[in-house]
Amino acid sequence: MPLPPASGTGKYYALAAKSIRLIRQGCTNRPFFHISVTQRKRLNSQPVIEQLGSYDPMPNINNEKLVALNLERLKFWLGQGAHVTSPVAELLGLTGFFPIHPKSYMTAWRNRQAELDRLTSEKEAAKSTA
Amino acid sequence: MATKILALKNFVHSPFKALLKQPVSFNINNLKCISTSPVFCVNFFNKLPAEKLWKSVTSVSNAGAKKGRGKGAGRIRIRDLNRGQMIGVGKVNMLWPGLSAPVIRGRELLKQQRLPDDPERMEKLIKLRDSMTKFRRLKLSPIERGWSGVRMPGRSLGPPDPVAGEEFTGFETKVLQLRSLLIMKGTLGRTRNYQAMVVTGNGQGLAGFGLGRAKEASAALRKAKNRAGKKLMHFDIYNNHTVYHDFYTAFGKTKIFVQKQNEGYGLMVHRAIKEICQAIGIKDLRAKVEGSNNLQHLVKAFFIGLLQQRSHQQLAEEKKLHLVEFRDENEFYPMVVASPSKVRTKEEIPKDETLDFIQYVMNDKVILKKKKFPPFYKTMPHYELYLKKFERYRNHEKIRLNLKVEYGEMKSFLTDKYPDEKVEKDD
Amino acid sequence: MSLLKVIRINTKHIFTKHNETHTLYISNRKLSIVPSVYDQENPAPKFFSSGIQVLLKRLTRPEFSKVFRKRTNNNTAVLKTPVYKFLTDEELNIEKEKANTNADRLLQMPPVVKLHEQINDVLSKDPALVGYDNSTYMFTDITFGVANEHRIIVQRNPDGTLESCDRDTRKRLNQIYFPMQGRKIREPKVFSEPEKFNGLLEGEKYEYILDRACVQYEPDERKYQEITSITYQHIDLHSKFDLLRSTRHFGPMVFYLTWHQSMDRLMLELVQSGVVREAVLLAALRQAVHNDLSNGEDYNALVSEILPRPIQLTKPEILSEEDIALDTKCTELVDTYINTSSSMKSQQALALQGFREYYQQLVDLSRGLKKAHGNA
Repeated sequence: MPLPPASGTGKYYALAAKSIRLIRQGCTNRPFFHISVTQRKRLNSQPVIEQLGSYDPMPNINNEKLVALNLERLKFWLGQGAHVTSPVAELLGLTGFFPIHPKSYMTAWRNRQAELDRLTSEKEAAKSTA
Repeated sequence: MATKILALKNFVHSPFKALLKQPVSFNINNLKCISTSPVFCVNFFNKLPAEKLWKSVTSVSNAGAKKGRGKGAGRIRIRDLNRGQMIGVGKVNMLWPGLSAPVIRGRELLKQQRLPDDPERMEKLIKLRDSMTKFRRLKLSPIERGWSGVRMPGRSLGPPDPVAGEEFTGFETKVLQLRSLLIMKGTLGRTRNYQAMVVTGNGQGLAGFGLGRAKEASAALRKAKNRAGKKLMHFDIYNNHTVYHDFYTAFGKTKIFVQKQNEGYGLMVHRAIKEICQAIGIKDLRAKVEGSNNLQHLVKAFFIGLLQQRSHQQLAEEKKLHLVEFRDENEFYPMVVASPSKVRTKEEIPKDETLDFIQYVMNDKVILKKKKFPPFYKTMPHYELYLKKFERYRNHEKIRLNLKVEYGEMKSFLTDKYPDEKVEKDD
Repeated sequence: MSLLKVIRINTKHIFTKHNETHTLYISNRKLSIVPSVYDQENPAPKFFSSGIQVLLKRLTRPEFSKVFRKRTNNNTAVLKTPVYKFLTDEELNIEKEKANTNADRLLQMPPVVKLHEQINDVLSKDPALVGYDNSTYMFTDITFGVANEHRIIVQRNPDGTLESCDRDTRKRLNQIYFPMQGRKIREPKVFSEPEKFNGLLEGEKYEYILDRACVQYEPDERKYQEITSITYQHIDLHSKFDLLRSTRHFGPMVFYLTWHQSMDRLMLELVQSGVVREAVLLAALRQAVHNDLSNGEDYNALVSEILPRPIQLTKPEILSEEDIALDTKCTELVDTYINTSSSMKSQQALALQGFREYYQQLVDLSRGLKKAHGNA
């Protein structure tokens, strides 16, 4: 394999701060993310310490977004004091593993608000034409 | 070159035409202006006949011929420049009743007239002339071809001649070797003999090889063929496709390691051994030749090895042990292929006895296995780059196939969702 | 045999309660086979009980030449050169023992279990998440070393509910993250298109169908049970039992036929081919599954006599006195079975009569031979 395997080639320093984050792996117009633990100061393009899962943000044919999580290793790294970035925390919240992230509620509320606005504006537009 | 020769031809064959004032643009309506009286004009090209002109081009001096000039690929060949030309047909496409056309067609009397020009005529002529210049080798159809082109080794000779009315039906002879032997003789100087080695067989276990020597190649081949037909040997073929067991065989400095193979493996052997196997009817075999590549020794060694094969029963009797076959496709079920009349127990077997089957039948000889080095490009830096670059395409082929299976073309559920997007066309 | 009777026998015990949308009707020479699944009583305790397992294995009549036959689907693209070994008697016996365990592995029967129930397990409801996304989020725990059936797989719906996934989704996600060789995420056309499936049935590719179904489906899936049910009924209808003998699917087929009380054609086939001992085993199987025969104890007693004897792969040429005694007992018991509990009495009685005559000849021959040899 010419490319390093997705898990376990990054250097590990016990005292360095770790971060669990999404790392983009797909190509142009096709995002795909690895959920990986890496050193906090390291770039996303650099080798990670361990891959903990994956996240496919594009809905599949059944309108599903697939998330895979290695909960056992996730717990381990959380125990080591790894920092969790907010996108990952949101996903973990949706899983039921974390409490729901406030950002999720905010997004939901904003989306509902936008939908309401759209509906009312449509209604008004219909009224004005009629 | 072609145009030069064309110009030459014009002078050689139609000197008068060249002398005409307006040969090309003459018109049917002003035929009167063409003078039919000869114009006196002589030069090198119309003074001499074509033969002499050609000779001046192709001739080589005596000294040159001794050096070998005027031979081989660069030689100028005499060409018949009249080929493809017909009387009455020329550069100007004229219809001459009585010459290039009938006088009366139907109820109509044909008149001289000019037809539209054929622009491809000259090209065709040049092509025809050029085709005469090139040296063409004798070519055989791929089926008749031997190991290498028209050379005899590997070519088929048909069955041997009948002996005492007995026909060799189903036999096929293949030439293995045809070479000339040069001998110096006191009175005759260097004389040339031909030696041929052929193998003949019916593909069903009966085969033989023969050696023939004669002054002529064809006579040597015939002799060898008939001699091979008289020295037939029978070989048992295991399951009608391979040999009974691996074996080692040698003749002189030639060593052959023959390995039994599974069905469908094919013949991965020296080309001469391949011809022998086909003559005998062996379909799957691997053989490695070590030492000398002398072809006659090779053939003899292989035949000796085949003759010295032992049947499974013989092997079991020699070892006084069961001979058991394990096949992968049968989940390694122990099939007892031969049992001796009396089986030895474990205590009766000496400690230093060879029990490994391959080692035993190979007569304790081991095939030299050379270390395999990676191809040169794999050690180069660009190869790693190439692998990195193409890793992202590693599954594309499979995905395309799956999409084609599912939708009948290159599309996915997203194609219906976004119909405006351009789809990559895939043939 | 009249066509009507065929239909009556085959449709007698079919449950028609299951969902109509799932029913797969297979038309076969104007007969439609209606699949029946194990959705009432759980057959697993009976199927897995040691007594029934022994009977089923014995009825499979494993013949090693067929068990270890050349397979085209064992992941070898090309054949391999056979390996030869010189073996002493002891070593050969060890190898044969290994082959026996190997045969057990190859003949391990696919389990017969009850249809699974739908999972309906809502973990939490959070209406404040409505509008977060239009898609469902599927979360799979990919922790190493967890079995597929115990893996945590949950989904967050657009309306904010968090719930465990249903069976189909679980299977799909398990296949995505932990692919099983040969199983397809999308259902193969062989099973989804009735014409293709019918073509296989008509071509008598029963083993292929059953093998493929084993790979593609779980044994507690409705589709698996329907496919196997149709295949078993098709085999039964055409009396092609020999095609499944020495394979791992014979046991489940016999169990299916016995469970649905339609093993009389198999009984007829056994009597016709003259293996009365197996006929007794089959009757004992019925007794063990349904407990509806009057003289059940006799069967069990005879089974314990038959089982220690070697399997009869070929018809015997010379009989010993013990064999004769055992076979006579078996014949009598089969006779009582035919008279009391069979639904194909006349044909089976006729077949048994034929067997008796043939057997009598054989007995006379062997006794005469013994006498002639002078060691009687």
